[in-house]
Amino acid sequence: MIVPRRLFGDRAFLTGAVVAAVMVLVALTAPLLTALAGQDPTTFHSELLDSARGGVPVGRFGGISGEHWLGVEPGTGRDLFARVVYGARVSLGVAVSALLLQLLVGVGVGVAAGLGGRWADAALSRLADLVLAFPSLVLAIALLAIVPQSWPRPALLAVVIAVLGWGGTARITRGETLSLKTRDYVAAARVSGAGPLRVARREILPGLAAPVLAYAALVLPANMIAEAGLSFLGVGVRPPTPSWGQMLSSATTWFRADPAYVWIPGGLLFLTLLAFVLVADGVRRVLDPRQSELLR
Amino acid sequence: MRRHVSLILTATMLVGALSACQGGGGGSSSAAFDPATCQGGTLSVLNQGGITHLDPARLYTSGGGNIPSLLFRTLTTRNRLPGEAGTKPAPDLATDLGTPSDGARTWTYRLRDDIFFSDGTPIRAADVKYGIERSFAPELPGGAPYLRDWLAGATGYQGPYKQPEGLKAIETPDDRTIVFRLRKPEGDFPYLATATQFAPVPRDKDKGVGYEKHPISSGPYMVASYEQKKTLSLVRNPHWKRSSDTLRYACPDKIEVTAGLDAAVINQRLSTGAGQDANAVTTDAVVGPEQLAQLGTGSELDKRVARGEFPSTTYLAFDTTQKPFDDERVRQALSYAINRTSVVNALGGSAVAGPSTTFLPPQKALGYQPYDYFPAGDTGNPAKARELLAAAGHGGLAIELAHENDDAQGLGPKVAAAVQEAFKQAGVTVTLNAVDSATYRDVTGKPSTQPALSLQSWGADWPSGGPFLIPIFDGRQIITAGGNFNLAQYDDAGVNAEIDAINALTDPAAAAPRWGALDAKLGKLALVLPLTHPKDVYLYGKNVKNAVPDGWRGTYDLARISVK
Repeated sequence: MIVPRRLFGDRAFLTGAVVAAVMVLVALTAPLLTALAGQDPTTFHSELLDSARGGVPVGRFGGISGEHWLGVEPGTGRDLFARVVYGARVSLGVAVSALLLQLLVGVGVGVAAGLGGRWADAALSRLADLVLAFPSLVLAIALLAIVPQSWPRPALLAVVIAVLGWGGTARITRGETLSLKTRDYVAAARVSGAGPLRVARREILPGLAAPVLAYAALVLPANMIAEAGLSFLGVGVRPPTPSWGQMLSSATTWFRADPAYVWIPGGLLFLTLLAFVLVADGVRRVLDPRQSELLR
Repeated sequence: MRRHVSLILTATMLVGALSACQGGGGGSSSAAFDPATCQGGTLSVLNQGGITHLDPARLYTSGGGNIPSLLFRTLTTRNRLPGEAGTKPAPDLATDLGTPSDGARTWTYRLRDDIFFSDGTPIRAADVKYGIERSFAPELPGGAPYLRDWLAGATGYQGPYKQPEGLKAIETPDDRTIVFRLRKPEGDFPYLATATQFAPVPRDKDKGVGYEKHPISSGPYMVASYEQKKTLSLVRNPHWKRSSDTLRYACPDKIEVTAGLDAAVINQRLSTGAGQDANAVTTDAVVGPEQLAQLGTGSELDKRVARGEFPSTTYLAFDTTQKPFDDERVRQALSYAINRTSVVNALGGSAVAGPSTTFLPPQKALGYQPYDYFPAGDTGNPAKARELLAAAGHGGLAIELAHENDDAQGLGPKVAAAVQEAFKQAGVTVTLNAVDSATYRDVTGKPSTQPALSLQSWGADWPSGGPFLIPIFDGRQIITAGGNFNLAQYDDAGVNAEIDAINALTDPAAAAPRWGALDAKLGKLALVLPLTHPKDVYLYGKNVKNAVPDGWRGTYDLARISVK
């Protein structure tokens, strides 16, 4: 197990991994945590707001108190800790689901292109190019704006992000498949009569694990940014479901009146993304030594 | 009245950009203001809304608007006074508020002698008649629909381009006299005559749709340059006489309007007041939380804020023909459950909105009578609501609430979330249905597509109970083709008869209490659930003087502001 040992000697990776693990834990145990705090993400607390001053929270730092650990949301008085914790659920949930879908489609298309004939390769590769070249943000906004509101929003977000984001995975997978295809053991399997499906499953896929994992670790934070961006633009999850991007969006008008409301979701988003990027970097350094040497 | 509030709001906001207010109040730091010595300087107007039209036929304004009123004089106009006194019309082109006869079915006006267009030609009664006639042209849509409804035999009139013979209901026996014949008594006619459709238009200068590029001015200013939705530059009209117009002080030499700015940017610029921004005002950007946090703290900004109230109500509209709102007990239960404090906070706090338990907003001129038949207190009475729902067999009720998909008009997700949460306390599950704000009024205004419950607002075309209540509760105003505002689909012969009776009154002081009594009577039925009324809080630049909000529009009047 040379890989873990090398990883655990990497301080940046360790820090990132701990923070990321805490975030995942927080997201998974959101209902428990908010119950512990005695709060929930949707109850309004008008009594905690200074209505005459536009609805800013009463008290310092956005109304932080023993009951409201991160203060309350200006304008509504909803508990910020509960909203942040539930927001982590949305953020990570959408990002991870989108990633899984991206891997499924991307790896499938990539392997098919790598192993398929000239025409299949050309068609699938151009399709991947098309997806990569598409102005995905614009298309995502358009897609999310037209679908009926009765559709489950987080699932829809994950699908949209995945559909617009599998191109990179497909490209990398195809390249790796092409190089794996020429290896002796693959040739040996072919010669001994293995069909393309068996070759893909038994010979190619295991070899793809390392590069795809390294790439996936980078895609995850990108997905989180995509979710936050779409929510920021108002086409993400529907209120009252909390989301970090949505919080940041509504915080822009409160920047001076209640700075805590900007810093809390903004800081958390930053911290989480940084943690995942550190993890991704660490994973890549180990799994893809060639690349890391080049970088150094 | 069949037209939308959104248009009225647009009118107050967009055109608010175009319309004006008066001077003086709000805590101006200046010494005594003297309209005789206020002339000079350039006033900047920083606005969100585009100046979409400059044609008097196409503007939908309350009281002639803010910016339009600088260009267009009308038969009557708002009297531009602060508070209660400001809710009355005053003569403008006419010498008085009009003489009613035939039981308020005929209104006769006499024009002043000293009024001229910006090209120097005298304004004649025929020019006023022509201005009204062209507002009927389908080429020039956008104005308020009252004239078509009120003038005798005007329903099918297609405007002077197709029917140059004109409207028979308007007579001009000589150059100074104009007579209107109505198909029913309308005591509010002097209020309607403040609309820009009553501005004179010289027939030989009319270019139809292109007229708004260079409209002929009758007011103290004329257009120097105009780029639609972006900029409007006004300079003095040399043929306007101060002696003929005592209501408009016309202090600045120039007025520069910039549209398309962000509200936060406008308020930031006004509060900083750097350079020319010291001479700036806005007619459509109410203060945001950043400025509210500084107000009332003794800061310098406290001296540069004008507070007024435009009569308007934000409410929940029930369709009483759809389940479950056909059951009066459901409507009552929700009226008990509502938490108006959280709605006020969603709209920006108690500085910019107040709770309403009545449909009529709290202006005496509209006939406001306080009532609270389903006391919800400040934060709702969910226990009482649950009790009522259980008794009516509606335990575990699930409903859908339609709202606009943005918060610009105060009918967006923020308010909807506050309503949703309040009803949740009473055990009612609310699903939110966000409708594109561009089509919202089309969806809710057509009975076939109307949601059973929707977030609405209604503003006053003029400060009287009639235009506030009639479109909402007159059963004869249920319009199935679209543009309907009687969302309750309420039709009661007794109420309709009372509306006709009040319309025949020419004394506003006699009409107001009866509108108020009618509102109180309708309130018992819980046909609508009133939420809040707005308060207008506008900043102005350091050098701006006499920025007094008028009682009609709630904003300061550009025609009376000085930057000298």
